[in-house]
Order: sequence, then structure tokens, then C-alpha cells
Amino acid sequence: MTLDIKERALTGLRRLRVRRRSQSSCHGSGPTAASGLPTLVIVGNPNVGKSALFNRLTGARVVVSNYPGTTVEVTRGHLRADGVELEAVDTPGMYSFLPITEEERVARRILLSESSYLVLHVVDAKNLERMLPFTLQLIEAGLPVVLAVNMLDEAEAAGLEIDLARLEQELGVPVVGTISTSGRGIDTLRHRIATTTASVVPPRTYDDKVEAAVSEMEGMLKGEYRLSRRAVALLLLQDDAEIEQMVEDAEGDGWGSINEFLLRLRTGRARSLGYTISMQRQRWATSLVRRTVLASGRRGRNWGELISRVTMNPITGVPILLLVLYFGLYQFVGVFGAGVLVKFLEDTVFGQWVNPVAIQVVEAIIPWPILQTLFVGEYGIITLGIRYAIALILPIVGTFFLTFSILEDTGYFPRLAMLIDRVFKAIGLNGRAVIPMVLGFGCDTMATMVTRVLESRRERVIATLLLALAIPCSAQLGVILAILSPHPRALALWGVIVLAVFLLIGLLAARVMPGQRPSFYMEVPPMRMPRLGNILSKTYARMEWYLFEVMPVFIGASVIIWIGQITGIFQALIRLFEPIVELIGLPPQVAAVFLFGFFRRDYGAAGLYDVHAAGGLSGEQLLVAAVTLTLFVPCIAQFSMMLKERGVRTTLAIVAFIFPFAFGIGFVVNALLTAAGWQL
Amino acid sequence: MICAFCGYEFDPTQAPACCANCAMSGSCHMVRCPRCGYEAPAESRLSKLIKSIRRAISGSIG
Repeated sequence: MTLDIKERALTGLRRLRVRRRSQSSCHGSGPTAASGLPTLVIVGNPNVGKSALFNRLTGARVVVSNYPGTTVEVTRGHLRADGVELEAVDTPGMYSFLPITEEERVARRILLSESSYLVLHVVDAKNLERMLPFTLQLIEAGLPVVLAVNMLDEAEAAGLEIDLARLEQELGVPVVGTISTSGRGIDTLRHRIATTTASVVPPRTYDDKVEAAVSEMEGMLKGEYRLSRRAVALLLLQDDAEIEQMVEDAEGDGWGSINEFLLRLRTGRARSLGYTISMQRQRWATSLVRRTVLASGRRGRNWGELISRVTMNPITGVPILLLVLYFGLYQFVGVFGAGVLVKFLEDTVFGQWVNPVAIQVVEAIIPWPILQTLFVGEYGIITLGIRYAIALILPIVGTFFLTFSILEDTGYFPRLAMLIDRVFKAIGLNGRAVIPMVLGFGCDTMATMVTRVLESRRERVIATLLLALAIPCSAQLGVILAILSPHPRALALWGVIVLAVFLLIGLLAARVMPGQRPSFYMEVPPMRMPRLGNILSKTYARMEWYLFEVMPVFIGASVIIWIGQITGIFQALIRLFEPIVELIGLPPQVAAVFLFGFFRRDYGAAGLYDVHAAGGLSGEQLLVAAVTLTLFVPCIAQFSMMLKERGVRTTLAIVAFIFPFAFGIGFVVNALLTAAGWQL
Repeated sequence: MICAFCGYEFDPTQAPACCANCAMSGSCHMVRCPRCGYEAPAESRLSKLIKSIRRAISGSIG
């Protein structure tokens, strides 16, 4: 079979990045216990009481230091267990053997480099199902493991009863129940630590296909490893770049055939082997928990879990999403924020107080009319720039961010990711793309940067295209909702058209761009009751950030337009846009809106609001303008971010496609409305 | 800080390296989860001030 050259190049590039990173930090053997004592390495997720347990075991005399070459702190202490003296190392929080953060990488390096040790895995008794996969990984690694099931009091309060003896029997490693805050179980733990030295055979977890791949890989590994060959094989199959580097260093000439085998396994699979292994490991953990968490204590369905399930199920989840969009976006942001609040600030605060006073003051202080227009002219700093920012954009983004913060605080967004994962897969993305898409409704510039979280270049390009094309930012969305809400049919059509464009272009892009279908799985944190303090604090922080970002830009835009007006450049640019705008059935004064829209999407939407408020547009024209503006090219900030993230060629290609496409859709919508004779 | 998307707990002062390379990092005030990339605003000064006032009040009462 001919192997894909690109795949080889990408693999090599990944490992080159790992080599560079390793060379800049601790590489090779790492620190061993300076005291020469056997080492107890304590691992586990954050927030399981690991450090409290460490303090109970070691007492007050500890040493905190940075792991060499990093800023990650590691705590060491001494403990005595049944006359045996050990050095204990409290590692940073670690979710699995596949590290993502620097802290997790350091924790794994400690496991790989410390000699003659025992591993104490601390887990939260309430969340065994989430944490036992890591226990399995440690056992598979051939490490002597003791499992501390901590926070038993919280599990008991939640009505859980854990059969620790059965858990020990099924896992084959010592299992001790503890409460680190009170010290319960600590003496038993010390005893088990002192008497446990050997690793055990891991339980059978994977299907025949995975086991066959693991066996074949194990047979190819000839080097010496601190982990078991099985563990190394599994990590290689899960595309761990650091382990690949380690194996290449250890195997020398033998690496070639191992790499060929890995590339053969990766090619042509609908799902990555890493995904399959993780899923099977999780299924094993779920099945084990069912057998060891007793029926009387089995966590009954609570409201949080019920709501969580219905939000992720497509049959109930989609109607819930539509309700969230209707009440959260349409009613609260569109009708209340962009309607009631904006009307009050525009008409009363600025219309009756601020603008008249500002005009009087400026005309009294500044004798030159040309300079007066800079501050209080048609596009003046006060009469337009500050008015847009305070009267128009701020109430809209304020209500949007309030809705956003409430949804965020409940834990709804990861469930949304699960719900739309299937739809996103059809357009070349997966549920993880919910992160940049959701953030794009706040600000597309930041969301474009966040596309980095997507795993492949293909996904990042598709997500960037869709963000630039069909995701309106909060202010733009709010203004569009405000101007279309008196015309419900126009609003509904706008939503349908934008969604259809999003899906169609996504589908086409996924067909055109080569690459594998992405896999997606994530740990969904529990749903929670939103807390008022959190909501208000996050809403205020977002509004503060947005205002300080927006205000200088809006003022700057007024200055630039003023200069453009004096020099005639502004009028010349508008005249360039006028024929295009008239082609799609809009009056010429809308041309300025598209020009504004290139500075800032929200500035453009605000301009459209002004034209609409002056009564310049019919319902049909509003729809055409709203659709075209939504699909129009990204603003300067987003454009700059695209250049940085995607490069010049890809960015220019995206913009070159979007510009005629947006006006093309506007033309088609206008033509269809005219032909059908619809009045909206 | 606990990520509002994936629930991962991390130190918000340990910003990922990519943020330091971003032209907007100076004015951004957003904190990015190192695990999933989700961004949320850092705690505002007003919020910190209110919390410190509340702590001072409860400290003087208690």
C-alpha cells in the first residue's frame, strides 16, 4: 500500500515540534529522589483532595520547587509507612496519560522518570466513572498502583455506596477508601502503600481488533522502557507525539517499520484508533461502576441529569434550542435590548439631552465649521461614534452577554456541542467547533483565533470560512433582530437563508477540502444552577472588555470618515459601492453601511439601523440588506486575525469568495421577492 | 478558575503561549482554557473590589 506522503510529513513535523519542546525543558531522565529513597508518586485529577492527602501522609515538612525547565510547581515530602521510608511527590492535576497542558506533561514526565516507585492514584468517590479510565492506564503501564477512593463522605451524602472490596477484586490493585479532610482511612492507606510493590496484569478491556493491533505493536518494540510495552503500544496507537519521539530514540533503525505500521493503521479509518481505545476504556469503566456502586446507593436520576439528557437528545434538544433562541435572543436581545433600551437611549438620552448639548458646546468652543463636524457632524465623534457605542451597541451586547452568561453558567454549551456534533460532522467539523461558533456570536475576531482548538487544518479553514461568512457578531445580530422584529416574516426568512448558507457552504467546503472526518469526544461537566453573582460578574467583565475595545475604534472610524469626507475619498468609495447596492434593490444611502461594515460589523449594522430609523427601507429591502450585511466580508480586525491564523493565500481566497457571494445572495433574494410579489 | 465549557480547573495567570503572541493580548482580558480553548473574561477589577469589601465586612462582623 502506498502511504500518503503528506501524512509522513505531518507526522515528522509533529515530532520535530515535540523534540524542540523537549530540548527547551527537562529531557531524558529527569530528577530522581535526591534522598535515594523509593518514591511514591501521587497522581489524579484536580480537585480530588490529592494535596490534602499528600499533607496527611507527609506532615508539614515539604519542599516546593519548579520542575526543571518549567514553571510548574512540584511538592515533595517524606512519609513513613509501616517502618518503610518513602519520598512522596505531589504531581500537578492529570486527567489521563495523554497530556494536554504543561502541568499534565510534567506529571507524566515524573511518572516516566522517577525510579523505584509506587503510584498512588487519588480519585473522587462521586465520580468513579470519569476517573477509572486513568486508573486502567496506570495499571496497563505496568506500574504498581494503589487506588485511594477519596471524599467518601461526599459520596455517602449523595447516597452512594461503593463496594471497595469488589472494586479491588476487579481491578487487581489495593483500593482504600479515604476522607482526606478528616483523616479517615489514612492509616490503612499507609499500610497498603508499604506492602504493595508489584504491578498486576490489567483487566481485559478492548475488542479483538484493538488487541491485535496492540500485540503486533508490542512485538515490534525492542527497546527498554519504564512503562510496559503494552502501555507504550497503546499510547502510540493514540497518536502521542512525545511517546513517538521516545520510541524513535529508543528503537533507532527499528522505528521505520513501527512508523509504517502506524501510518497504515491511520489511513482510511472512519474513526481514529485513539477514539476507539478511549471509548472502549470508558465503557469498561462504566460497566465496572455499575457492578461496584451498590443499588441502594446508586445515584438516582436527579434534575440536573434529566435536564442534561434532554438537552443532548436530538428529539428534545432541538426544540429546547429553538426556545432558547426565541426567548434568549429574539425576545430579550432583539425586542427588549435592541428595541426598548436602544429606543430610550437613542431618542431620549442622546436625542433630547446629549446631542443637543454637545452641539451647542462644540459650536460655542470651536469656531471652525470643518472642525465642528469632526465632533458633532453627520459622522461626528459624539453624534455618531459615541452615540453608536453607548446608545446602540452597548444595550445590545449587554443583553446578549447577559443571556450568554446565563447559558454558560448552567453548563448548556457542552451539551449544545454534543447535540449538533452530528450536523457539524456533515460539514467537515465536529462538536468541538461549537466553541468558536458560540464565541463568534460574541466577537468573530476572537472566535477566529479560537479555531486553533480544532485538530486539523481542514476543520480550521472550514470554521474560519463559516465564521467570516455566516456568523454575525452580537452587536450585528442584535441590530438585525431589532430592525427585523417588526417584520416577523422577514426575520424568519433571514434566519432560514443564513442557516441554509451556513450548511450549504459548509457541506461544499467539506467536499472540496481533502481530509479525514474528525472525531469528537469530551467529558461533559455536570449541569448546575446558574449563580447570580457569576452571571453579573461575567456579564460586566464582557461588557467592560467590549466597550474598551469598541469605543476607540468607533471614535477612530469617525475621524477616518471625517478625513475621508474632507478629502473626498469617502464619497468616492461610497460611489463605488452605490451601483452594487442598487443592483440588489437597495437605495444608494445603504452604500455607506457596507463601507462602515468593513471597519466594524457592528458599526455597519448600526448604520443600517439609522437608515431604517429614517424610514429609508421597506420590509423587503430590510431583508435584502440584513442578509447581505450578515454574509458580507469580515471586519478589519477579523480580517487581520484571519491573515495571522490562516495565512495570506487562504484569507484572500475566503474574502474573494465572500464578497461576490454575499451580494450574489442579496441579488437572488431581491429577485425572488420581486418576482413573487411578496410584501414583508 | 474553572472552565465554563469543559470544567477543567487551571491557573488563569498561566496564559497559554499563543495568547502572548497575539496582537490583541494587551487589551484582551479574556482567559483561555488550556484544555479546550474556550475563552471567558478574567475577573474585572470592580468584581475583585466588591469581593474584597465583602470579605472586609464579614471579617469585621465575624
